Amino acid sequence: MRAWWLLLAAVPLAAQDATQTPAAPETNAASPVTQAEKTITGSVDLGYRWFSGAGGSLDTYRSVVDIGSGVRLLGLDLSLESAAKKYFDRINVRGSGWGGDPYNTAHVDAVRHDWYNFSFDYRNIAYFNFMPSFADPTLGNGIFLNQQSFDTHRRMMDFELDLRPGKWIVPYLAYSHDSGFGTGISDFVSGLNSYPVEDKPRDATANYRGGVRVEMKKFHVMLEQGGTTFKDDQQVFTSTQNFGNNTTPILGQQMFLNDLTQAYGVRGDSIYSKVLLTANPTPWLDVFGEFLYSRPTTNVNYSQFNAGQFADLATLLFYTSELDLVSAAAKQPHTTGTIGFEIRPMKRLRVIESVMTDRLHNASSAAIHQQILPLVFDPSAFSTPGALPIFTDRLVMNYNREQVDALYDLTSRITLRGGYRYEWGDGLTDGMLISGLPTETGQLKRNVGLAGISYRALQKLSFSIDFEGASGDGAYFRTSLQNYEKARIQARYQVRQSLTLAAGFSVLSNQNPDPTVKYDFLSRDNSVSVMWNPNNGKWVTVTGEYTRATLRSDISYIVPQDFTSAQSFYRDNVHDASTLVDLLIPGFGAKGPKLGMGGSLLLSSGSRPTQYYQPIMRLTTPTYKRMNWYGEWRYYGFAEPFYLYEGFRAHLLTLGVRVGL
Amino acid sequence: MRPTDLILRAWPSPLASAPPPPPGTRPSWAGHPRALAIAAAMIFFTRLGIAQTPPSGNQPATYAGSEACQMCHEDIYKAFQKNPHIAVEKDKKRGFETRACESCHGPGSKHVESTSAADIRNPAKLPVAEADRGCLTCHLNQPTQVGRVQSGHARNQVSCVSCHSMHKSAEELVPRRRAAINAECSTCHLSVWASFQRPYKHKLPEGAMSCVDCHNPHGSVLPHSIRTVSANEPGCLNCHGDKRGPFVFEHAPLRLEGCATCHEPHGSANPRMLTRQEVRFVCLECHANTPVTAATSHTLGGVPPSFHDLRSPQFQNCTVCHMKVHGSNVSQELLR
Repeated sequence: MRAWWLLLAAVPLAAQDATQTPAAPETNAASPVTQAEKTITGSVDLGYRWFSGAGGSLDTYRSVVDIGSGVRLLGLDLSLESAAKKYFDRINVRGSGWGGDPYNTAHVDAVRHDWYNFSFDYRNIAYFNFMPSFADPTLGNGIFLNQQSFDTHRRMMDFELDLRPGKWIVPYLAYSHDSGFGTGISDFVSGLNSYPVEDKPRDATANYRGGVRVEMKKFHVMLEQGGTTFKDDQQVFTSTQNFGNNTTPILGQQMFLNDLTQAYGVRGDSIYSKVLLTANPTPWLDVFGEFLYSRPTTNVNYSQFNAGQFADLATLLFYTSELDLVSAAAKQPHTTGTIGFEIRPMKRLRVIESVMTDRLHNASSAAIHQQILPLVFDPSAFSTPGALPIFTDRLVMNYNREQVDALYDLTSRITLRGGYRYEWGDGLTDGMLISGLPTETGQLKRNVGLAGISYRALQKLSFSIDFEGASGDGAYFRTSLQNYEKARIQARYQVRQSLTLAAGFSVLSNQNPDPTVKYDFLSRDNSVSVMWNPNNGKWVTVTGEYTRATLRSDISYIVPQDFTSAQSFYRDNVHDASTLVDLLIPGFGAKGPKLGMGGSLLLSSGSRPTQYYQPIMRLTTPTYKRMNWYGEWRYYGFAEPFYLYEGFRAHLLTLGVRVGL
Repeated sequence: MRPTDLILRAWPSPLASAPPPPPGTRPSWAGHPRALAIAAAMIFFTRLGIAQTPPSGNQPATYAGSEACQMCHEDIYKAFQKNPHIAVEKDKKRGFETRACESCHGPGSKHVESTSAADIRNPAKLPVAEADRGCLTCHLNQPTQVGRVQSGHARNQVSCVSCHSMHKSAEELVPRRRAAINAECSTCHLSVWASFQRPYKHKLPEGAMSCVDCHNPHGSVLPHSIRTVSANEPGCLNCHGDKRGPFVFEHAPLRLEGCATCHEPHGSANPRMLTRQEVRFVCLECHANTPVTAATSHTLGGVPPSFHDLRSPQFQNCTVCHMKVHGSNVSQELLR
């Protein structure tokens, strides 16, 4: 926040500096950016928002919308042009949502031609999530279990500096920082019970990188070296008696938790390298390649102390306290490489060939020391007998892809495309010791045929069809793409200068016919849109979109408690429409007040029927030369017939002023 | 004249309609006659019978300079002064100093004389590949273009000018404001934008994010043009750093098929953008307890089997206990 206000404070200073600088001699007489021109332009939106309060579930409102009352800097968009061009040519500053909105953003671009490009981006996004139905689908029956919920923020910053942009050799430096913090409710699991406990997640990742781009006429090379550091200091604690979700006594003993402290001390780092190459050694050949390598590692120190009454079901041991210390490490070298070319043997024909490989190997080990204090003191049980101090784990993923495409310009308006892709790979999970978890392997083999056609009948009419059909001999998971067909059709027609129509259709059908899987998936999306802005939107602008999306998924599984076969059905049939009409109110001239009306609605049926309405109305009234007053009303209405207790309704009214500079 | 010159003249490249190099520019093949001869010989035979005759007839047009364009196209000329491509007008190294307009539109002397649209090259009316070649003359070798030929946009003939307005200001050339980026993408990706009207979604309509936060529209090594971070990690981890790992106990789908295995990244009617209405179905569809057959013996997810009694409310949501479902540093069962 302080940085933001400093930045704002600097804006007039920068403008003052520019205006006080004597006009530099004009170097380019043709340039329309004359010295007399304003050096600062843009607008600032300030306003006050009233939140009516949520009718229904405030928790759901906060999980979905989370906009509150108060003074807001709703938007800021400033551009500073330097007349002297001594330190910068132009600085753009943008921001939104300051003053308490759940997402605040700021962005600064500074450019000096031939010298540097600098950009800074800041985002602070609030994540509130407390959805009763998420953790506890049976809540509607009056059964209340604990939640996994959180009220956290993620704060992200990015700095990038390109030196001598546009030159043959461009060095650059960049730094990013991403952190998460807040509070939440988590679970502590012990035996057959789980206890809701307070959780303080706190993590941060920093990314440093630098490199150079060599941009020659016939080739380009980019070399980047970077590194990341990561820390996770999540803490979970409670000091009140907690009977957990399972209040049924076990062998006559009531389980409970009195005290808990869990402290995660996770530290990670990574180095990575990036080499990109493109070249066009001849007019008929383009070559490209990428080599990407990263080697992230993690080191873990975890401690846990819990006191209460617990049961170890494996040994039928009841105990009153437990101390766990874990020291672990993981390493994950990850290499990705791709190489390809586009060759144009004839004027109308292009052939694109590419090969890609992606290899990730995760190896880890953990030393776990567990000490428990039995309910009935038994020295032999004081240190858990049979405890396995060293765990190792492994995950291997090797993925490969080869693809060839041929594109042929049948006419100047029609392009045909055909191609073939072969994907193969393997995956392995290996909990080597221990727990009796066997090694699992997955294999991927997929042959994919590709086809497409693009048709531009006129400059104003375009049409394209894209198709993929695949036959797989293996897939990593039961729900993975195996035997599938995917198609997409898009059309766009500019009927006249002021009227544009667009339509899209896409379908994905995927099957895994194995009798133990019987996976059948089908999704379809159909969309149309219209945009009408006669006289360049001087009086009225209308935009509208409608989408009908359907999804059907069936897959078999075995019910764990009785080993009967069952089907998991999922259906989602959605009508989604959104529209916005901007209208200049008649009788006040071309600079009179404007009325905007519209919003969106979502009606879905199927496995989780949902209705979500978001109408909006906005009135903008010019007052002074560069000032507009505006008022905006929004309504949010949300309902789920299966989870009535999660519905909400809320009104938001905003009054504000936009000042142009 | 060398034989290779004859071959090249008989075979106009896709850039044949591009402007000729400025006077004094050395041809790219100069100094490499042997390599060029080999390459030419390789393609010569494929070209037999389809060689086109070079344009004949009139004297070719020459460069007129940008100021000549300004006379009639004052508005475009003024707007172009704020376009980053104005660098072409001023940069001697690129070979189009004082004739930036003709770097894309070709020599304009005939058009200046006749004012006929037929006498000037209009990239908007060219076949997409040919128009793009004009842009790629300079931009092919750019970091964002490395995977370009693999991208869906390139394959589906979405030209550079579909998204980039060449004559306008820097902001309109490359949309920078998040709302502008989203509006640009949603003109074609209608159903994707509709997904963002669902209750659980990434905050794009609110302006906190844009499509290019997750996708590189010019192409990527990952499917769906997913942006990469830290070399080869999926762009999701740029914000969700706590899911990056590596974890001591990994959950395989995250690494093998990515976040979209369980989440609808654009938006969903299900809490936490899940692909199913309740968590247990997301889990059970892989951890299905089904017997291993020859066809499924190479499928992951059978280990560990699920054994809880799902009739008990306590087990209706797997992630209540298996909290570290994205990967755990402490528990093999992803419990803590």
